[in-house]
Order: sequence, then C-alpha cells, then structure tokens
Amino acid sequence: MESPQFSCKLGVLSRPDASVIFCEGETVVMAGIYGPIEVKMQKMLIDKASVECNYRPKRGLPGVEDKLYESLIRNICDTALVTSLYPRSAILIALQEMHNSGQLISCAINAACLVCLESGIDMKFMFGAVTCFLTNQEELRLMPPISDSAVKASFVFVLDNVKERILASHTEGSFSMEQYEEAQDLSRKQIKNVFAFFKKTLNSGKEM
Amino acid sequence: MANIGEYVYPGDVVKNVKSIKGITIIGPGLRQNEENPNTLCISQAGKLCFREPNTYWIEGKRHRYIPKKGDLVLGVVAKKAGDSLKVDIGSAEFAALPMLAFEGATKKQKPDVQVGDVIYARLLSAHREMEPELICVDSYFKAGRLGVLPNDGFLINISLNLTQRLLDIKDPLLPTLGKKFPYEIVLGVNGRMWLNAKQRKDILTLLRCIEAAEAD
Repeated sequence: MESPQFSCKLGVLSRPDASVIFCEGETVVMAGIYGPIEVKMQKMLIDKASVECNYRPKRGLPGVEDKLYESLIRNICDTALVTSLYPRSAILIALQEMHNSGQLISCAINAACLVCLESGIDMKFMFGAVTCFLTNQEELRLMPPISDSAVKASFVFVLDNVKERILASHTEGSFSMEQYEEAQDLSRKQIKNVFAFFKKTLNSGKEM
Repeated sequence: MANIGEYVYPGDVVKNVKSIKGITIIGPGLRQNEENPNTLCISQAGKLCFREPNTYWIEGKRHRYIPKKGDLVLGVVAKKAGDSLKVDIGSAEFAALPMLAFEGATKKQKPDVQVGDVIYARLLSAHREMEPELICVDSYFKAGRLGVLPNDGFLINISLNLTQRLLDIKDPLLPTLGKKFPYEIVLGVNGRMWLNAKQRKDILTLLRCIEAAEAD
C-alpha cells in the first residue's frame, strides 16, 4: 500500500532549545520546544512539570478546533515525558501549521515527538501517529484522497514504541466497528516506518 | 536490547546491568526500571556509554542546563533582593547567591555587585524541588578564581556538549588558540563562556573560532 513519505529538518530556529520542520506526505508542521523553564505561579505544580502546548494555525487566531488539537497533543506529551524529574517548572511546546493536506494531526504529533527527542528532555517512550482515510468506496488508505469530499472518515492513532499501546485516537466521520479495527491494524503496520524514520533522523543528525 | 556504544532511544531497556554489591551508578538519560530489577530504562536519545566497573550514562544532545551540586557555572546577576542576589544561570529558575558568600564579606561590608555583572560561582546545592544556591568561596573561605568577573570581557552562550569538550584537558583547541593570542577564558558547565583578550579584534577572532568549533 502507498504510504506517505517523511522528511524533516532539525535545528531550524535559534531561540528554542530544539526545533524541527516535519513533513508527512504533503503536510508540514514546524515545532519548537522550551524546557524546563520558569513557570507562572498559577500553573506551577509542586510534584511535576506542567506541560503546555501552543498550536497556531496557518493564519488567523487559533479557533475551537485548534484548541482541541492543542489539548490532544498536550495530553500525549504529558504522558510521554518524565515530568516528575522537573518539578516546579514548565515545558512549552510550540507548533505551527505550515501546510495541511489531510494528515495535520498526526504530522503535528510526530513533530512534537521529534522535537522532544531532539531537545534531550527525558521521555518514558517515543510516540508516533498515523492517519488512515476511509474513502467513499469503503477503501482504507494511508494517503489522503485528492478531494476532501472523497473522505468518508479519517482515523488518527497515536502509539508508543515499547508495547505499541494506543495512547490516543481521534476519529472524524462515520464508520463501522470493523473498519475502525482494520484502520488500527493498518496503523500498527505503518507506525514501524514512523519510528524507523525518527531513529534514522536522530542518528544521522547526531554527527557533531 | 540496547548495547554499549550504540545509539539508543527512549523506551529501550539495558539488560544485564553490572553492579558492585548491588550498586550501579547511572548518569543522565537513564532511569531505574521498576518492573524488572537489574535492567535500566533509557529516557533520552543518545549514545549509551559504560565505564568499568559499574557506571552507565547517555551522551546525548541536551540543550537546557540542569543544575548539579558542585558545578562551576557562569551567571548574570538579574536581581538584587536584600541580602541575596538572584543569578541567571540558564536553568529553569534563578539561583540564589547570598551577599555573605563572597570572600571577606561581612554584614557591614558587602561586596560591590551590580545587576548585570557576570559571576563565576559554584553550586552549593541543586535540588530539583528547591531553587539552586550559589557560593563564591571554597571550603577554606577563599575566593580562589570564583567571584565577579571584570567588566571588559565578553560573555557568550555555547552548547553544553562544546563546553564539555573544551574542558577536556586533551582537547587541542584552546592551547592552539593560546599560542596565537594571549587570552583569558572562563567556562561554566551551564553552557556559558567568558572571554577576554588584549584587543577587541582578538576577542572577535577567538569568538569566531569557537563558533566554528560549535558548527563542526
């Protein structure tokens, strides 16, 4: 089955502790991380770091949908990072949409993981996301159809690299239970490529 | 799963951990595995290193300084709060430096420190639940090389890995530069470097050399 190509560039920004531009197929997201940094008094947690995520759409102010992505990514990062190592501090992940051609959520999650890995912050495991599309012809595929109207449903699965447990799932549209499970199996196959790409990127970018 | 010298990723597990009387020393990027004793969890991407008999650590790219007790750091005074100074050392929180922690300082005779001054100090305590504490004297109450640095130097931020490399006595870069220009250098393990030479021009040349070393 045809699957999206990955590409990325590390260290694109100078201000953040780590930054990355991540492309999944045609979708592009830029991510930066600051942390651990000083935290505002009202957000301070005494036993762990508070993880914050800032998601910006391509233009305009973030809307309700963007806030939803933001909280999804925040929750995933909160689970994956060892926040108990940095009490009374904040970890800030900033994400900027550059181009959307369907896999925006999974691309943003993958960019967030890569930027965490790159910054050297402690993580319990790596996480990656895969988007599957269900077309009007009841066909499951990893590549987005050319027109939005051809998509009956889309699934996003976020998995970890240790036991491949599902950390989060996000679905849109209508589908049957079997199709959901089928999409899940497909994501489990594709997630191996995502992690292989992460490893390759970090290993090659490591040459100092 | 993970072998010594290999590039490892969060979620990998080190098996058959060597220990002496049940003691293993672990450095950054490693955590004890609660589920299975005698194994270690990896929490950073980097190269897994091991030194006989029982020390393990990860050599990765860390960008943000995490204070450790005993570290020699360079900081900039950010605030003066009564008898104590707040010093920016690049960590999540400002470090506290009491006015009495300078050589020869008493309650009546306080050192002359202004906001913006660069300070070379040692971390007296660095507990993650508390703000880090700095001191400018050694255990004999002598300043040694610690204290406020002169105003005519130049402070830059460099990566933590480069600092470690320059601090290595076998590294040829600093002695080679020293043959060409006489200069003074102070390296803080928090990724800061203070430089001073006879002329401004020399300082700029030295900085360019350091920048080139950083890129490489």
